[in-house]
Amino acid sequence: MPRRFLSLYCPEILSGRLRQLVEWCDRYSPLAAEDGCDGVILDITGCAHLFGGEGPLFLDLQHRLRRMGIRSRTAIADSWGMAWALARYSKRCVVKGAAAIPALDRLPVEALRIPGEIVLELRRLGLATIAAVRKIPRQSLAVRFGSALIFRLDQILQQAEEPLAPWRPPAPHRALRTLAEPISTLSALEYVLRELLQEICERLEKNHMGSRHMDLTCYRVDGTVDRCEVRTSKPVRSIPHLLRLFSERLNTLKADFGFEAFTLSVLDIERLDPKQLHLLQENLVPDDASFDALVDRFGTRFGFEQVNRIRICESFLPEQAVEFRPATAPMLTSAEWPAYRVRPIRLVDPPMRIEVSILIPGGSPVQFFVGNRKHRIVRSEGPERLAAEWWRENGSRRNARDYYRIEDDQGFRFWIFRDSSERWFLQGHLP
Amino acid sequence: MPANPVVEKLRHQIGCLEGVQRRFSRTIPIADAVDRWLPYGGLPRGSIHEVKSTNLAAALAFAAILSARGHERGNIVYIAPDRSLYPLGLSPLGVKPDQLLYLCTRKPQDLAWAVMEALRCSQVSAVIALLHGLDLTASRRLQLAAETSQVTGFLLGRTNSAPIAAPITRWIISPVNGKAVQGFDEPVWAVDLSYCRGGHPGKWILEWRGEKLNTVFAQPVKQAAREALAG
Repeated sequence: MPRRFLSLYCPEILSGRLRQLVEWCDRYSPLAAEDGCDGVILDITGCAHLFGGEGPLFLDLQHRLRRMGIRSRTAIADSWGMAWALARYSKRCVVKGAAAIPALDRLPVEALRIPGEIVLELRRLGLATIAAVRKIPRQSLAVRFGSALIFRLDQILQQAEEPLAPWRPPAPHRALRTLAEPISTLSALEYVLRELLQEICERLEKNHMGSRHMDLTCYRVDGTVDRCEVRTSKPVRSIPHLLRLFSERLNTLKADFGFEAFTLSVLDIERLDPKQLHLLQENLVPDDASFDALVDRFGTRFGFEQVNRIRICESFLPEQAVEFRPATAPMLTSAEWPAYRVRPIRLVDPPMRIEVSILIPGGSPVQFFVGNRKHRIVRSEGPERLAAEWWRENGSRRNARDYYRIEDDQGFRFWIFRDSSERWFLQGHLP
Repeated sequence: MPANPVVEKLRHQIGCLEGVQRRFSRTIPIADAVDRWLPYGGLPRGSIHEVKSTNLAAALAFAAILSARGHERGNIVYIAPDRSLYPLGLSPLGVKPDQLLYLCTRKPQDLAWAVMEALRCSQVSAVIALLHGLDLTASRRLQLAAETSQVTGFLLGRTNSAPIAAPITRWIISPVNGKAVQGFDEPVWAVDLSYCRGGHPGKWILEWRGEKLNTVFAQPVKQAAREALAG
């Protein structure tokens, strides 16, 4: 399929607004990028038929930009360079194949996207149009002007590749809905979302894939964009589950004057094979009532940093022996923890400084104060000497801590330690 | 525990009429003496229990033991406003770290929402949450969700925090001094059943030893003995 590029030239656009425009152009093609400081380039290869062909796409874009009050010129051509040149220096808008060459030949040399000094040099030699430049043999051009001119000439005539770096990586799956009238109510949003999800999930099912990260982009009437994202801990393609996750987020969208188009992109996919159900399976749990769905709902509402799985690591330091892993991270196997190492059930992190009385220097504690409250110690067990491993920071015997398990006269049990400089800390509560 | 068999039979019939016996037929064993005292023959699953203590660590341990007993290696959701729970302390109580899903959220309304969602999910075996001060409507809604999904919910709080309006049972755990020879991995608590729907309050001294809860005194503690212990 021949590649097709659309170049948008907006000479009056403010630099901050250009990025918004690029995101807005995402509705025409996922391969959109900023082009200099006053233009947008779109790779619309294979996209035009969604709008009824290149002509209707072109008119639609023009119409919407005019309505948004953006003065612009647009051109569609076979290469980035040609589209760029036509948008800026020609009245022709949509050109294709061999028909492009005459249109190109009439353009001034500035249309080649070359530095100003080369343009001046060319004009001084009387080469004002691209046609004149193309008549000169390549070797002479290369000797006189260096490789830049040749390279640009090749790019415009599609003899050299010009890669396009889109503003975000193109999504593996994407669905688009354009509405005749803008909508702003939640129920209408949900209706559109359900349709989009149906389309996407059908495709995912065919490919045996599930989504880990979805993005709903909503295009407002005034050309601005709002979006909401949904991440999941496991690959998912169940519509009720995804709808429920999105419904948590939909009310954060600000419709203002209403949304007129939506794209739903799957940004991250993972393999998800269909499950064979047993005919006599008794307790069949629907996808949106499963434990994974609960994890996803927690993650959507609170962020996955707050939803944790626990992993035990091999470390003597109590703060480092337990790792709180986000539920989206792959599950790693925990280390085995020896049962004789009694640990508290609640950890005070960072440890709290306490004042402790001891009878003999280096001996076990007798009483301690937490703030003003005095605890008389009736039982104690220890010391258990713990130090960070030698390969860690501060990992030396000099920084070892002596841990004691103690019980006060009320029956409260604590885990306290003495550090190398004879200071005492409360580190945990035993059950 | 009343010994009269006629009274006992009548009680059972009334229980059936009220739906208490049928609704709470599946139970979690606590300790023999406690199970005999409770009208359900154990701690009912699929319901809300409030566990209060002056020492949150003790309340947490009690809830963890019972959650682990309810279901072998089921998912346990822990919901709290901070990250103070230390999972290594749970393993000797029967809760393995990989069973645990830890949700940390600060706002009270978010806590309540999360507990509700977790209670609705039937693939969860137990929910332990630091949640207090629920009104009648809120706690009934939690109870209904728990009954439908058969998830057991333990709501922990400090003794002085606002209570849950309508739990099935309310426990107050107080720390008790252990014997001099006892290890620190065998904690002792005074367990006070201060409210039980369709049953009587009672009090026991329980110790955690040999992977089970044992009653130190077989009968509910008399008032005098209770005071002596507390003093």
